[in-house]
Amino acid sequence: MPVCDHCMLEVSDRDAVHEDINGRECVFCCHGCSGIYRLIRSEGLDEFYVRRRDWSPGPAEDRPLDVSAFREVLHPVGNEIEIDAVIDGIRCASCVWLNEKILLRTKGVTRAVVNYATHRAKIRWNPSEIDLGVVLGRIRSIGYTPKPFLPKAWEDEQKRQSRDLLIRFGTAAFFSMQLMLFSMALYAGYFQGIDEETKFIFHLISFALTTPVLFYAGWPIIKASFRGLRNRTFNMDVLIAAGALSAYGYSIYAITTNGEVYFDTAAMIITLILLGRYIEAGAKGRASATISRLMQLSPREARRLSAAADAPDAAGGSQRRMVPIASVLVGDLIEVIPGEKIPLDGTVLSGSSEADESMLTGESRPAAKTAGDPVYGGTINLYGSFVFRVTKTGRDTVLSQIIQAVEDAQARRAPIQSIADRVIGYFVPAVLLIALFTFLGWLWHGAPLPQAVMNAVSVMVIACPCALGLATPLAILIGTSQAASKGILVKGGDVIQKAAAVDHVVLDKTGTITEGRPVVTHCAGIGIPDDEALRLAVSLEQRSEHSLGRAISDAALNIGPEEVRDFCAVPGKGVRGSINGKRALIGSSSFLESEGVSGIDAFLTAEQLRSIETFQNAGSTAIFLSCDNRLSGMFVIEDRVRKEAAEAIGMLKKAGMGVSLVTGDNRKTAEAVARAVGIDEVKAHVSPLEKSSEVSRLEAGGSHVLMAGDGINDAPALVRASVGVALGRATDIALESADIVVMRPDLRLVPAALALSRKTFSVIRQNIFWAFFYNLIVIPLAIAGMLHPIVAAGAMAFSSLSVVANSLRARTS
Amino acid sequence: MGIMYLLIFLTVCIGLAGWLLFLWAVKSGQYDDVEGPKYRMLEDEEDEKKSEEEAPDKDHPGT
Repeated sequence: MPVCDHCMLEVSDRDAVHEDINGRECVFCCHGCSGIYRLIRSEGLDEFYVRRRDWSPGPAEDRPLDVSAFREVLHPVGNEIEIDAVIDGIRCASCVWLNEKILLRTKGVTRAVVNYATHRAKIRWNPSEIDLGVVLGRIRSIGYTPKPFLPKAWEDEQKRQSRDLLIRFGTAAFFSMQLMLFSMALYAGYFQGIDEETKFIFHLISFALTTPVLFYAGWPIIKASFRGLRNRTFNMDVLIAAGALSAYGYSIYAITTNGEVYFDTAAMIITLILLGRYIEAGAKGRASATISRLMQLSPREARRLSAAADAPDAAGGSQRRMVPIASVLVGDLIEVIPGEKIPLDGTVLSGSSEADESMLTGESRPAAKTAGDPVYGGTINLYGSFVFRVTKTGRDTVLSQIIQAVEDAQARRAPIQSIADRVIGYFVPAVLLIALFTFLGWLWHGAPLPQAVMNAVSVMVIACPCALGLATPLAILIGTSQAASKGILVKGGDVIQKAAAVDHVVLDKTGTITEGRPVVTHCAGIGIPDDEALRLAVSLEQRSEHSLGRAISDAALNIGPEEVRDFCAVPGKGVRGSINGKRALIGSSSFLESEGVSGIDAFLTAEQLRSIETFQNAGSTAIFLSCDNRLSGMFVIEDRVRKEAAEAIGMLKKAGMGVSLVTGDNRKTAEAVARAVGIDEVKAHVSPLEKSSEVSRLEAGGSHVLMAGDGINDAPALVRASVGVALGRATDIALESADIVVMRPDLRLVPAALALSRKTFSVIRQNIFWAFFYNLIVIPLAIAGMLHPIVAAGAMAFSSLSVVANSLRARTS
Repeated sequence: MGIMYLLIFLTVCIGLAGWLLFLWAVKSGQYDDVEGPKYRMLEDEEDEKKSEEEAPDKDHPGT
C-alpha cells in the first residue's frame, strides 16, 4: 500500500490522491494532506520532510472493525436505516468533505452528513442494497475509524436548552429591531414635533412589539428573578427583571397620560442579556463538545470469548464478540489486544504483556503481566495480547471507586458567586433606597402621588444597566477563544474567575512533568562507535514487545537495521539473536551475566559505573548490549522530563505561585524529577485519595490551588482543587473532572492559562464598571424628574459600546 | 396619512416574515453546525472532476 507523503499513513491505492508536484508523483491520503504539502513546499519549507526524524506514523488501525458495537445506534427511518457515529481521525474540513463524498458515492447510501465541530456523522442507507459493514468499511478504507455515538442524557438536554435559548434570543432580536424602527421615529418626534395621533399609534405598536420580548423571550429571566427574591438574594435576574418590568409598567401608564415611553429600554435589556447568554453558552459549548468528543473515542465495550471456550488454550479457536461493558459478568473471559484499554478488573489467564498503569498508580514504568497477575480496568495494554478472567464489574472496580470519589467531590463543590452578582448584591438595595427617597422627596415637595411614583420608577428604569448582560460573556468569549487558539479549553466562565485567584500550583509527575513513556536518553558504545551500538540494539529490539525494547527501537527510526537471526526474547530479561553471524545480546546486566558475558563491571570505567548509579538513583533503567560475548554498549532509558517543564515552572514561580509536586511514584524518582525542574516541595508515594487530601490541606491553609494532572489517580484531586487542569492525552475521567483541558502536551500552557484568566478577569471587572457607569451618572436626572427616553437610549448605547470596545481591546493587547 | 399606515403594516409583516424564517431555520437544524460551513465553502467542487481527468484509470463506483 502506498504511504501518504505528508502524514505517512498508509492509504489504499483506490482512495489515494495522486498529484504531480514539481515533476514528482506524490501520493496523499486526503486532499487536506495534499494542500498542506503544497503549502509547505510553496513556503520553501521542504526541509520539514527531511528533518522529521522522530516522527512515527500514527497507529495503524489494522484490527478488524467490529460491526456489532454499532447495533445500539442503528435506528430505522422509513424503510431506510440510519446510524449515529463519531468518526475518529477527522482533523480538518477536507476530512469532513472526503468522508461525505466517499459515503455518498457508495451505492445505497442516501444521506451522509458529518458535523465538523463534533465529528458526528449521520449516515442513512437502504438496507436492501448494502449493509452496515460495507458502510463502515468505506470509512475505514480512507483511513478514518467510525465509532458508535452513544449520547449522554445531559448532552441532549444541553442541546435542547441551547436551541431554546437561540429561539428566545432570535425572537427578542427580531421584535426589538422592529421596535427600534418606531422608537427612532419617536426620538425624531421629540426634536421635530409629532402629531398626537401618530405618537399614540406608535406607542401602541411599541407596546405590542415589546410584550412578546418581555413575556416570551424574557420569561425565564422573570421566573428566575422571582425565585431569587424568594431566596432573598439580589442577583442579576432580579435587577434585569426589575428594570425591564418597571420600564414596561411606566410606559403603559405613560400611554394613558400621553407621556414618554421606555419600551425600547425594556426590550433592549432583555435582548442584550439573552445575547450575552447565547455567547456564553456558545463559548462553553465549544469546549465541552471537544472534550466530550475526546471521551467518545474510548471503548465502552469488551471483547468477550464465548463461554464454551473456558479452557485458556482453546481461546485461539473460540468465538469473540464485542459486548457492552455493562453486560460483562464476573467470571467472563475477555481478550485484550495491544494498544487497547483493559475494560475491567481481573486476573490474567493466558498470554503475557505489559500494562501502562501510570494513570492509576503514578508509577511510570509499565507493569509486566503474565498468567496470575491482576489487571485493572482503564489501564492500557501495551505490546502483547492476553486473556483475563473478570473478577470485578460495575461499581466494584478500582476505576469506578475513583469515579465515585470524583462524583462525591463534584456534588460537594459550592458554586461561586459571579463578580456581577456580587456587585448587584449591593447595587439593587441601593437603587431601591434611592427610588424610595425620590418618592418621599417628591411627596414632601407637594407633588401629586402619580408624579412621585413615576419619578421613583424612572430611577429604577435608568438604573438597570443594559450592557451588564454583555459584560461578562463578551470578556469570557474573547478569553476562551484566545485560550482555545493556544490549545487550552476552558469549561466555563466561573473557571476564569477561580483561575484568576490561583496562588499555588500542584503538579502530577508522570505524564505531566515527564513525558509519561520511556525513551532512550543516553547511548554509549563500548569499544565500538555510539551509533554502531545503537544500530545493533535497534536491530535486536525491532521485534520486541517489551516497553524498554520499544523505547530503543523508537530511538532511531531511520537507522537501517541489520538482519537478525535466531531471535529469541526472554520475558522480563532481554533479547538474544545473531547479527552477521555474531551472537548479540541485549538486556539487564543480570541477563547478560546469565548468558555468559562475565565481569560486566570490569568492562566499564569507574566513571561509567558512577553515572549508572546516578541514573538508577534517578529512577532510570540501564540496559546493556553485548556482541560476541563482549560488552559493547550501554543505554539509559527513562521517563524523560518534558523539555519545557523547567521553563514552565520558572514562569509559575515568577508569577508568584507556590509550586509542588505530588505523585504516586516512589520518592527517589520523584525527588530526582523535582530537582531537575526546580520544585522544592515534593510529596511522593501518595494514593489517589491522598492526592486530593493534599489539595484540601493546601486549600485549608488559605491557598487557591490549581492541580494539573492526566491520570485516573489525579481525578479526585482535579475536582477538589479550585481549578483542575487535565493535560495532553489525559484519561476520560481526568478530562471529565478538570475545569481546563490542555490539548497540547506542553506544560507552558499552564502558566499561559493562568495569565489569560487573570487578564480576562480584569476585563470583566472593567466591563462591569463601564456597564454601570453611564447609567449611574444619569440617576440624578431621574431623581430630579427630568429623565427623558433620549437620555435612557444614550446611556444604553454608550455603555454597550464601551463594553464591546473594552472587550475587543483585550484581544489585541 | 393612509400611505403611512400601509407602510407600517408592511414593515411589521416583513419583520414577522423574517422571524418565521428564523424559527424555521432553527427548527430545521441550520444552526446545528456553525463551524463547518465556513470551511466548506473553501472546498473546491471542481476537484472531483479534475482528479478523475488526471487519473482516468480509477474506477469510481456510482459516477
